[in-house]
Amino acid sequence: MDIKFSEEQQILRDSARRFLEKNCPSSLVREMVKDEKGFTEELWMGMAELGWMGLIIPEKYEGIGMGFLELTVLLEEMGRVMLPGPFFSTAVLGVLTFLEAGNEDQKKTYLPKIANGELKVTLALNEAESSYDPGSIAVSAREDSDGYVIDGAKLFVPDAHVADYILCAARTSEGSGLEEGITIFIIDGKDPSVSTKLLKTVAGDKQFKVVFNGVRVPKENVLGKINQGWPAIWTVIQKSAVLKCAEMFGSGQRILDMTVAYTKEREQFGQRIGAFQAVQHHCTNMLVDLEGCRWVTYKTAWMIHEGMPYEKQASMAKAWCNQSYRRVVALGHQVHGGIGYMEEHDMSLYFRRARVAEVVFGSADYHRKVVADHLFTYGALTQA
Amino acid sequence: MNFNLITTPEEEAFRQEVSDFLDVELTDEIRRQHGLDKGIGPEAREFNRKLGSKGWLGLGWPEEYGGSGGSLTHEVILIQELARHEAYIPNTVARYMAGPTILHFGSEDMKKEFLPRIARGEIEFGLGYTEPPAGSDLMAMQMRVVEEGDFFIINGMKTFNTASHYADYHWLAAKTNPTGPRHQQISLFVVDQRAPGIEIRPLHTLGGERTNEVYYDNVKVPKNRLVGEKNRGFFYMVHALNYERLALHQIERYLPILNRLVNYAKETRRNGVLLADDPLVRNKLAQLAVEMEVCKCIEYKALAMLLDGSIPDYEAGIVKLIGSELRQRIGYTGMEILDHFGILEEDSDLAPLKGEIAWICLGSVLDTIGGGSSEIIRNITAMRALELPRH
Repeated sequence: MDIKFSEEQQILRDSARRFLEKNCPSSLVREMVKDEKGFTEELWMGMAELGWMGLIIPEKYEGIGMGFLELTVLLEEMGRVMLPGPFFSTAVLGVLTFLEAGNEDQKKTYLPKIANGELKVTLALNEAESSYDPGSIAVSAREDSDGYVIDGAKLFVPDAHVADYILCAARTSEGSGLEEGITIFIIDGKDPSVSTKLLKTVAGDKQFKVVFNGVRVPKENVLGKINQGWPAIWTVIQKSAVLKCAEMFGSGQRILDMTVAYTKEREQFGQRIGAFQAVQHHCTNMLVDLEGCRWVTYKTAWMIHEGMPYEKQASMAKAWCNQSYRRVVALGHQVHGGIGYMEEHDMSLYFRRARVAEVVFGSADYHRKVVADHLFTYGALTQA
Repeated sequence: MNFNLITTPEEEAFRQEVSDFLDVELTDEIRRQHGLDKGIGPEAREFNRKLGSKGWLGLGWPEEYGGSGGSLTHEVILIQELARHEAYIPNTVARYMAGPTILHFGSEDMKKEFLPRIARGEIEFGLGYTEPPAGSDLMAMQMRVVEEGDFFIINGMKTFNTASHYADYHWLAAKTNPTGPRHQQISLFVVDQRAPGIEIRPLHTLGGERTNEVYYDNVKVPKNRLVGEKNRGFFYMVHALNYERLALHQIERYLPILNRLVNYAKETRRNGVLLADDPLVRNKLAQLAVEMEVCKCIEYKALAMLLDGSIPDYEAGIVKLIGSELRQRIGYTGMEILDHFGILEEDSDLAPLKGEIAWICLGSVLDTIGGGSSEIIRNITAMRALELPRH
């Protein structure tokens, strides 16, 4: 048993931390909330030069060919600085979907251009009545002689306004099972029949309503198998949930660091507030919650990295991180007192982004349903 | 990175051997006796000796003291397998406190006198630390020691000494230097629990356990029963503490309980609904599964440190903290799911799961208090892990 990071993972972490500390201060995060694109080309290309978009893209598609554990380390570091922009959309949602569902031609066409930073991609999943649920997907894809015609509206599509390609999960038929009848399409983000409208979220992250108004898609832009798209999508949802967990506790660790530093500076009643037991207990509770997040997530990432079954584990990780990261942020605010409540304090940025992290890729209730299904099918004593 | 405890075929073979042994030797009655501590009976003692005769109580101890060699990994495999079979570690005080302390700090004679018998599962120790004035603040203990020729004469009383009514020896902390510097006041002794002058009075707990007050009236303890050096007791106690905390909190033990609750839900209807189909019941059980897994991951991180040769410091305290709070939530959640049937005691006809949920609920009240209260652990973690200032 060896719960340590490899030298390669440690080097990745150290270099990521240095780069991000220098190039992504919280002032940039704030600026990007107001910025229409939500990212700077400079930072984007800086990350591309480091090979980050292609971190898990196999070398034969011009990526670095690292594994899921390494990507988890990188996302933890990105969470620490609240990296804005379409990295998650492109390098996680986009790359994972192409890797899961793409044929050889599609992988050869798109992955190298994602790896070098040329392309931005996103995944359109949710709808007004569908939250990570295949049965309720209503955006339709009707087949005709030239390909498919896509109609309907997707919601909460991250970075749709800058995406060169939108990967869209649409219904191609009423399947006999709940998970059948969904197909993934590669849609040109600049197609005139695709319109995007910014959704104003509490975090100011760039999420969009995307309306597909009779969008024509050629047959070769079907990603994976017709009507069999959901299993790939589910894999992407679960893996994205795990990586979102890494972002969450990456942020959480910085919150704890800031909070502990504050308790050693701030004096009231003649001493540093870190000497008061109530404050000490809050800090310990934050530490314990973060340790839980960190190790349940890394264990899941290890299982994914090693090719082990991970479905129950991934849902346990997201359910836990959703609950516990909420507490970490809340306690961070509590210990900071009044100044933490000011909009200009970094705690405000973390709080807003925490609200988004909690819902994307599944709420705690959603994931507990997955866990319960496992418990009632396989009992409590099985691993994954 | 590797979260598997077992990484070689030899380790897996050892685990299987332990598992096979437990399938045969570990009965529900033995589990009860350990877990409930309503009285370690002959069955539990016999089980101890059998474990001892397999060499498994002396894993990691040198062979010259009755140990069977083996690595720390083997010891952890044993503890885990015991937990998976819902056994309790027999006589933790002997094996995880007295034994290691004697091994590291005791005289040669003391090692030879006690370690082989502990390793064979033949002797048991009661823990003599707590007194009415000395709970979390152990330094406030008042039991006094004076020296007279070849003996120490000990006076005072200890309380909440579980096991003293059947244990052979008392692992005793008392003051040999009451006016000295704070951490140099205490010494440790091995006292024959049946020595003249010792009186044991029973106390009964909410959880149905028997514990004891132990009175010392001019008890003569031979000089050679001082453990290590005089006035070094506090240091020895702290040394033993973290290792003991890890050994005691095996999250594996909780999974079979969850499994039984899942099976109960599959078989039970209430208000027209099968519990297994009730989303709220499913949510509660899933929540327990999540918390168990998270605690297990934290525990494994601390175990990995131990196996790597580091000493888990505040990490061991955290494992105890979350394990104890989790057990309370298991009890309460179980009660919610069992509804009225949860209040039935084990010997009631209608008690589901043999009344174990009620017992967990009552017995776990102590979990966040004894062995390091949750408050103390939170204070210590803040100071050691986060370096927050003292008041």
